[in-house]
Amino acid sequence: MSNHEFQETAHTPVKRKEMSRRQFLAYTLGGATAFMAGGAVLPMIRFAVDPLLEKRAGGSFVKVVEESKVKVGEPTEFKFKIHQVDAWYVSDPEQAAWIMKDDKGKIFALSPVCKHLGCTIGWNTTNANQYVCPCHGAHYTVDGKNLNVAPAPLDEYQVKVENGFVYLGEIIPNTRV
Amino acid sequence: MAHGNKNEKVVYVGDSRVRKPSGEVSIPPDYTSFPGRSEAFIPNFLLKEWMVGCVVLVGFLVLTIAHPAPLGYPADPTNSAFIPIPDWYFLFLYQLLKYPWVSGSYVAWGVVGIPGVAFGALLLAPFLDTGKERRFYRRPIASALMILSLASCYYLTKVSWDFYQHELEVTGTVPEHITREEKAREAALSGEEAESPAKPAEDVALVDADNADVNAILKSAGCISCHGTDLKGQAGAKIPALRGVGDLLTKEELTEIITNGKGNMPAFGDKLSAEEIGTLSDWLAKQKAAAE
Amino acid sequence: MFKSVYNWIDERLDVTPLWRDVADHEVPEHVNPAHHFSAFVYCFGGLTFFITVIQILSGMFLTMYYVPDIINAYASVDYLQHKVPFGSIVRGMHHWGASLVIVMMFLHTLRVFFTGSYKAPREMNWVVGMLIFFIMLGLGFTGYLLPWDNKAYFATKVGIQIADSVPYIGEYIKIFLQGGEIVGATTLTRFFAIHVFFLPGALLALLAAHFLMIRKQGIAGPL
Repeated sequence: MSNHEFQETAHTPVKRKEMSRRQFLAYTLGGATAFMAGGAVLPMIRFAVDPLLEKRAGGSFVKVVEESKVKVGEPTEFKFKIHQVDAWYVSDPEQAAWIMKDDKGKIFALSPVCKHLGCTIGWNTTNANQYVCPCHGAHYTVDGKNLNVAPAPLDEYQVKVENGFVYLGEIIPNTRV
Repeated sequence: MAHGNKNEKVVYVGDSRVRKPSGEVSIPPDYTSFPGRSEAFIPNFLLKEWMVGCVVLVGFLVLTIAHPAPLGYPADPTNSAFIPIPDWYFLFLYQLLKYPWVSGSYVAWGVVGIPGVAFGALLLAPFLDTGKERRFYRRPIASALMILSLASCYYLTKVSWDFYQHELEVTGTVPEHITREEKAREAALSGEEAESPAKPAEDVALVDADNADVNAILKSAGCISCHGTDLKGQAGAKIPALRGVGDLLTKEELTEIITNGKGNMPAFGDKLSAEEIGTLSDWLAKQKAAAE
Repeated sequence: MFKSVYNWIDERLDVTPLWRDVADHEVPEHVNPAHHFSAFVYCFGGLTFFITVIQILSGMFLTMYYVPDIINAYASVDYLQHKVPFGSIVRGMHHWGASLVIVMMFLHTLRVFFTGSYKAPREMNWVVGMLIFFIMLGLGFTGYLLPWDNKAYFATKVGIQIADSVPYIGEYIKIFLQGGEIVGATTLTRFFAIHVFFLPGALLALLAAHFLMIRKQGIAGPL
């Protein structure tokens, strides 16, 4: 039998309404292919996209400093260590936060990462009572409001005060400006 | 202009100035001339092939789900309790090297001679067996040699595997990946996070590490020869770490274990005085992982 | 849409004959299990290829998590097997697939041998097939070390010791495989490179040659 004839007729309108034998075989073959490819590859895809489906663990709070050491109206930089489990790599990297009390006595903490391009900001390095970024001259008010260059205010840490200690949690967008 | 007619289909032959010669397109060899029913590769034949493929795939997936890939404990070159065994398809070579006539001063025969001849003959089979006859029963020498090699490979593999099983039984060893799975299952049943052997107990600091009395006992009694000079134990040999042991056992339990032994650990009741055991268990009971 | 893109490409590259040749070539009755059930023995070559494809894919996915480093290798394998969903299945596929590919290849080789299909004019294809067999064994050997557990370590140590006892060049083979004096950090990276790049590269080239020759010469006729 020659399949080349079938090839030719495949392009001209088929007279019969029913599916041709060849079409049926082609569909079945497609199905078998899909089954084999799916059976083999789907577990691997699930394996690979796992980081996308991973639920973000709720941030735990880390003890940073005694409440009494936080000044009113003047931010102070405090370093603290967080416990980080990065897949099989467990480490305790150090992080920094600028913590102060506002006029109403509410404690808040700002992340030192500049919202412009991610350099580390400092307090009062050139401009009085402002956070200044050494890279492109971005600066921020004491509440973290962006004054220049940066597209957004400085991020905040979630803050919890317990038993006279300041605890910091996850980084959240600024809520003060 | 290489192509006069714009509608002409361009068929390059490596160089755009040379057109593919028209005429008979060479038809690949097929079997239409054979007696019987031949059929097209796609879709007819491939479909049959892939039906078999689907069955194999399902069986394969069932196997992988039913039997997770084994994983033992981290490599530890000082582990002497481990019985190494290669993958099953290397067992025949592994076994071959155990025989006296291919080891010692004849080892070259075992590693190069015999496998070289066998694999060389296999590689060059078409040049050794040059006859036109294809039926295996009409070429007895080639077939007999092949069957003989198969039989010997099977024999060697079986002997090697049986010996391994025998060794396991004699030494009372359970392969590590099985121990590990069982521990993980126990931990899961008791609702705890399974302790990962990937992270040894190095986070646990020793409490009162400079206690001279204790250090002297640890050395003289030989504790450190099994539990390690760093007291971290040997996960592979199922010797527990002494660091952080105070979290697991009380002073009384520790005294009991030191005095009477436990599992593979010998009793120290007659080697150490009650006072020494007291000092030691006191100290061990203090070995708790640093509180938060 | 698809058709016009295809036509656009076909006009320039004339690809139709390529796949037409593969798709339309006639397969003889004597290898077709639908006609003779015993012809299932002709499936083993195709199944070897199928399992090889699974091996390549699962291997590629495994390297998303695996690190070839003596400190982290075990931890990463442990992580991907026990912490990542479907990790034990993907690793299981690679682990059991390695055995299965050897089994299938073995059966395929026996089929070719006992049907005398390696005879003229197909000698070269037999030789290429045997080279593929050796490469598969090499892949099995180098892959065994990668999880860096005791089994991996000691089996590799024994394997290298065997290579060491080869007369004259054994010492050099050993140092080359170990990348140093002991089975350690450089051994692991070496085995990883050989397992993931060198051998699969050679394997793909040989597989291409194997299939080209089959297509060129056709399947050996009925007995």
